[in-house]
Amino acid sequence: MRCLVIEDEADTARYVCNGLTEAGHTVTLVRDSINGLHVATNERWDIIILDRMLPGGVDGLSIITTIRNLGKTTPVIILSALASLDERVRGLRGGGDDYLTKPFAFSELLARMEALLRRGATKEDSRELWIADLRLDLRTRRAERAGRPIALQPREFRLLEYLVRHQGQVVTRTMLLEAVWDYYFDPQTNVIDVQISRLRRKIDKDFSPQLLRTVRGTGYMISADD
Amino acid sequence: MTRFWDTVAFRLALGYGLLAIGSMSVIAAAFYFGTVGVLARSTDAKLVSVSQRLADHYETRGGEALRQEVQQLLADGIEQDTEVYLLVAPDGRRVAGNIYGWSMATAPPGSLTDLAVMRNGRPSLSRLLPRLLPDGSMLVVGRDMQDQREIERLVWHALLLGGAVALVLTIGGALLFRRQLEHRVSAIRRTALEIEAGDLSRRIPISDVEDEFARLNRDINRMLDRIEHLMDGVRHVSNAIAHDLRTPLGRIRSRLEEALRPGNNTAQLAGTARFSIQQVDELIRMLDRVLQIAEAESGAHRQSFTPVPLAAVVSNVVELYDATAEAEGITLISEIEGQPVTMGDQNLLTSALVNLTDNALKYAGSGATVHVRATQDRDTVSMIVQDDGPGIPPAEQSRVTERFYRLDQSRSLPGNGLGLSIASAAASLHWGKLELEGAAPGLIARIVLPRAATAVPASAIPPEMLPAATDD
Repeated sequence: MRCLVIEDEADTARYVCNGLTEAGHTVTLVRDSINGLHVATNERWDIIILDRMLPGGVDGLSIITTIRNLGKTTPVIILSALASLDERVRGLRGGGDDYLTKPFAFSELLARMEALLRRGATKEDSRELWIADLRLDLRTRRAERAGRPIALQPREFRLLEYLVRHQGQVVTRTMLLEAVWDYYFDPQTNVIDVQISRLRRKIDKDFSPQLLRTVRGTGYMISADD
Repeated sequence: MTRFWDTVAFRLALGYGLLAIGSMSVIAAAFYFGTVGVLARSTDAKLVSVSQRLADHYETRGGEALRQEVQQLLADGIEQDTEVYLLVAPDGRRVAGNIYGWSMATAPPGSLTDLAVMRNGRPSLSRLLPRLLPDGSMLVVGRDMQDQREIERLVWHALLLGGAVALVLTIGGALLFRRQLEHRVSAIRRTALEIEAGDLSRRIPISDVEDEFARLNRDINRMLDRIEHLMDGVRHVSNAIAHDLRTPLGRIRSRLEEALRPGNNTAQLAGTARFSIQQVDELIRMLDRVLQIAEAESGAHRQSFTPVPLAAVVSNVVELYDATAEAEGITLISEIEGQPVTMGDQNLLTSALVNLTDNALKYAGSGATVHVRATQDRDTVSMIVQDDGPGIPPAEQSRVTERFYRLDQSRSLPGNGLGLSIASAAASLHWGKLELEGAAPGLIARIVLPRAATAVPASAIPPEMLPAATDD
């Protein structure tokens, strides 16, 4: 994938670029907003990772606005040291697809990036989702595995649905909190881990293969192949 | 004078006094013209009419008759004290009259003139109206003005004296007023100076008299209380942050230093790196929470408040924690009474309730029951978390909402003592408060908030947030 990183701070830029290169992406780094605007609008990118505050007189947000006004739908992830919910809302309203507060774990950035890149790729069936022999009926909000119904609470169903929609991808705890519970703060304790292990007991305990896996230090992934 | 002019009290009092004197002058002028002026005008009118009457007498009866008439008037004893008549023949010969000292030059005919003359042998200030008769003789009709001048003089004196007294009273009053006001203000200034010098515990003494100053002083004192409280908070937070930062920073530093020793293998280095990352994440999380409190306390969120149904907040939080409770062997029950709605920031309210619930689950212990409730009263709505764990000793209840405060027995548990501070800050932001209360056994933590205006339009609430159990 061709990634454009617009980031002025050297350490963060190196950290992001190295990580992306290791993950097998092609990375171009731009250090200021004027060049960033130029490169972002004149070349085709699969994803743009953009610092919110840049030297050069053009705000990170206005780069996004310009790109969107040109009709480009390239996914954009905003990196920012501004942590408040208002800033996040402003970033997302401005056309950003995701908002990540500095400092961040690279695995978090990568997981969110993958989620965005495959957003359009997964074929959506509006009635049901499948993974291996696990079936989610989206209309009745019921799940079954190998034909046996699994009793899920509504929120557990949403959690499972999110995981299955992102099958094969790592999803982080914060992604789950945001998507399933609409929370934009860190509840600090291991609530998500506990939720996941309960879900795992329900969908994996008496079945094979094990679908829901923990990705150490990052989050979780549901996939059919071990 | 500059010193006096520099005080509002003096300027106000003086200005007010001068205004009063000004209006008094207007009244005095009206009074003066209403009395002395009227008197003078009626005298003039009378002189004109008498002169006319005598002239008519001359027209009809002739010169001799006029002379007799004048003499008659002088002799009749009426207005003996004031009347003035003089008849002079065309050749300048004096025919009849009671004054000397008049001449054509001093009082020309046809106009009223004040002139000092001799009347009945005494000097007299008289008002004279000379008239030239057709045969060239001169008829002077007049009035001795001595008495009227006396009245005028008296009135003038009275007015001037009154004005002077008023002016003295005004200036004196202004000075007195200034001293009074300065006395009251100096109490405030003294306290302000003492506070500026560093003693934030000083307060303005409140006088027994209930007036503007007493109210102002109370307001200022309340503001000072608040500032002092905040300053204490900041000091406490600085200390606590220093402590809570130093501990993990020290740990990270010593681990990193150990890792640099020669002979460490890659696995050890990786272990150190992981440990450091975990510790740094913990620090970032703490920083985020401190910022969250600061943001709540700044009140900046209030512009974006929307109606928040507490039922949704409670069921969200319970659904987030149900697995945790299950794993800990704690029964977590949500209860919703009515349809409590408050104006607020859903994210912050949720965060507050998450912190209370988290605390309850953490401290209540296995086997406990935790109730999470949303209730409504006439004017208030509440979110309540009640557990039947060990609770908080009453002496500590007021301190636990302080940032970083932790009970001694809980220092070993994960956390940083910010949870209740967040709940408390969120409650204050929503014009509410956090109450802690012993439940024997256990603890009741209650966030009491103002109830949203009953007329919250249903359309303002997103449908998924409405309590589901209403229509069955």
